[in-house]
Amino acid sequence: MTSASSLISVLFANPAVILFVGAALAALFPDSRAGLRRPLMLVFIFFSGSQLYRLGLGEYGALSLFGESLVTLRVDRLARIFATVFHIAAALNIVYAWNERDRAQTFASLAYPAAALGGVLAGDLITLFIWWEIAAITSVFLVWAPGTRATFLSGMRYLAIQILSGVLLLAGIALIWGETGSLAFSEIGLRDPSGAVKLSGLVLLLAFGIKAAFPLLHNWVQDAYPKSTISGTIVLSIFTTKLAVYSLARAFPGTEELIYIGVVMTFFPIFFALIENDLRKVLCYSINNQVGFMVCAIGLGAINGAAGYAFGNIIFEGLLFMALSAVMYRTGTSKATELGGIYKTMPLTMIMCVVGALSISAFPGTLGFVTKGLIIDGAAEQHLFFVWLALLFASAGVLEHAGIKIPYFTFFAHDSGKRPKEAPWHMQAAMAISAILCIGVGFYPDPLYALMPDPAAMADYHPYSLYHIAEQAQLLLWAVLAFALLVVFKLYPAEVPSTNLDTDWLYRVPGRAILRWAAGVTGVLWDYCWKLYTERVDVFRSRIYAVHGPEGRLARSWPIGSMALWTAVVLGAVLAIAFFG
Amino acid sequence: MMSAHGPDHHGGDDKGWADSKAFRRGFLAVLILVALIAAALGFIPAFQKEHPHFDVEKIPVFFALYGFVMFALIVLIGQHLRKIVGRDERYYDERE
Repeated sequence: MTSASSLISVLFANPAVILFVGAALAALFPDSRAGLRRPLMLVFIFFSGSQLYRLGLGEYGALSLFGESLVTLRVDRLARIFATVFHIAAALNIVYAWNERDRAQTFASLAYPAAALGGVLAGDLITLFIWWEIAAITSVFLVWAPGTRATFLSGMRYLAIQILSGVLLLAGIALIWGETGSLAFSEIGLRDPSGAVKLSGLVLLLAFGIKAAFPLLHNWVQDAYPKSTISGTIVLSIFTTKLAVYSLARAFPGTEELIYIGVVMTFFPIFFALIENDLRKVLCYSINNQVGFMVCAIGLGAINGAAGYAFGNIIFEGLLFMALSAVMYRTGTSKATELGGIYKTMPLTMIMCVVGALSISAFPGTLGFVTKGLIIDGAAEQHLFFVWLALLFASAGVLEHAGIKIPYFTFFAHDSGKRPKEAPWHMQAAMAISAILCIGVGFYPDPLYALMPDPAAMADYHPYSLYHIAEQAQLLLWAVLAFALLVVFKLYPAEVPSTNLDTDWLYRVPGRAILRWAAGVTGVLWDYCWKLYTERVDVFRSRIYAVHGPEGRLARSWPIGSMALWTAVVLGAVLAIAFFG
Repeated sequence: MMSAHGPDHHGGDDKGWADSKAFRRGFLAVLILVALIAAALGFIPAFQKEHPHFDVEKIPVFFALYGFVMFALIVLIGQHLRKIVGRDERYYDERE
């Protein structure tokens, strides 16, 4: 067994534990000192980040548990790029919500990223499971933060789904341990060498798939995330799905099924995003679509593409969420029908939103361009024509809902008459840093490429080759032209306030009805059984009462005459038996 | 809880720069111009892929056509999804 002192030294060498302790310490500050919580959190993010790079690549934090050796901390190139961008995102979110005073929300906004970081740095499956569950539990506080009945119900649904993923992960771990005797978190794969699907791989893929929001398992994102607070939604949008992307890249690189799962993921959200009125929900569909690109890249074995795009997406999708949330902070709504014309009074937020929109659409000169090309080229290099076409189609779709719809309906379109103040300084600061990263890394991607899981494969990749620029410019500019013409000819559909049904309908309406019916039937059956039982008991009791009660036969005082008669009868019977027997 | 909205709402008839006809026309003109330039680049050998993976890449304006048509299809076809899944805004409020 590991001694207590070495356990403590193992724990505190872990950047994720450092972040978690920072979150806990900050939460201990009394509300009168709430202003100190976020500066303290930034200090801990700095400590954690410097610890990550001070350690360097390698395996640390070996622990022994019931004879199994665990590697609680592994920093390799794949883990490091995710860990790095998690630090950047956590810090940006802390700055963005600088004046947030709510204790639970403040705690969760660092404890939850800490848990996701812990999962990324886990070298064994048990450690991964522990962080996986901590991430589920800490993040639900962000869903619950607004404190209404709708958010409570949504949070419960969210928690149920997240815990289901955790239970499947645990089952998968048990199966893997039974098969291989190893708890290492490394390549697991879906099939065994003979090509048959392994149950362990399938269960684990499902556990990761729920968190990555695979098609049909995706809807918890749109259900829970937009119900959180202004800043809570931004924090939520980043970590869970990217931890799942990391886990898939770790355990299932080159798994062919993921190519097609990823393609479907990039496809269907495009249409839901098109008709959605709540722009925060549009961005949630965008998360599905973006994670689809990453899942596809993992299936193609383009791990650089998956990790690089995850890095980029966290920055530019985060920027879009921040800009939209800033508008919501000032106007109280994120609905397209209630916004528009905001550019007049929030021009800086508008500019930063447009930078995020250009970046997610992968215009040359942005972070999206230098990372997305890796995935689309990956499909081309494997000569998967239809996958390649599908990814190009999905790119046009991204341009539609994230590149155009978000900035257009928020800041332009029809004038809502709202004239809000520009976003507060801390929101602007976080957005400005994100925007600078979008453009800076877009023009000079070398530091990001040096951070890639497989830097050798990056040596002959040149995003700014002339044909790349020409292809992308054609694709995007002609798509924008299509948009402009649709608007000019009034063919672009107007936004309408509505609720659009998605898979969550199944458990929110018929599922709920079945549950209520089942509860009702159980209630009636129980009443019937109880009545049956109590009736029997009542009859039995009344019989005993009839015999033994004060009025009962056995309680009667019997007359001497009847006694003498019964004695004569019994004696007569004895005589008859003796005579004839 | 963070929320800071209220005092800044007032009806606005004031036109911003993006609402002027001149800007809208200018934007469209510039967009058409750069889109044509991008399409023209496809005809210049320096901007063509040396070893295309697929035959369609040899068409100089393939990406322009594909982007234009696919975007239009997404919008024109996708909006009909509303007829299937669209419900009243208070749909879930009434059921939960």
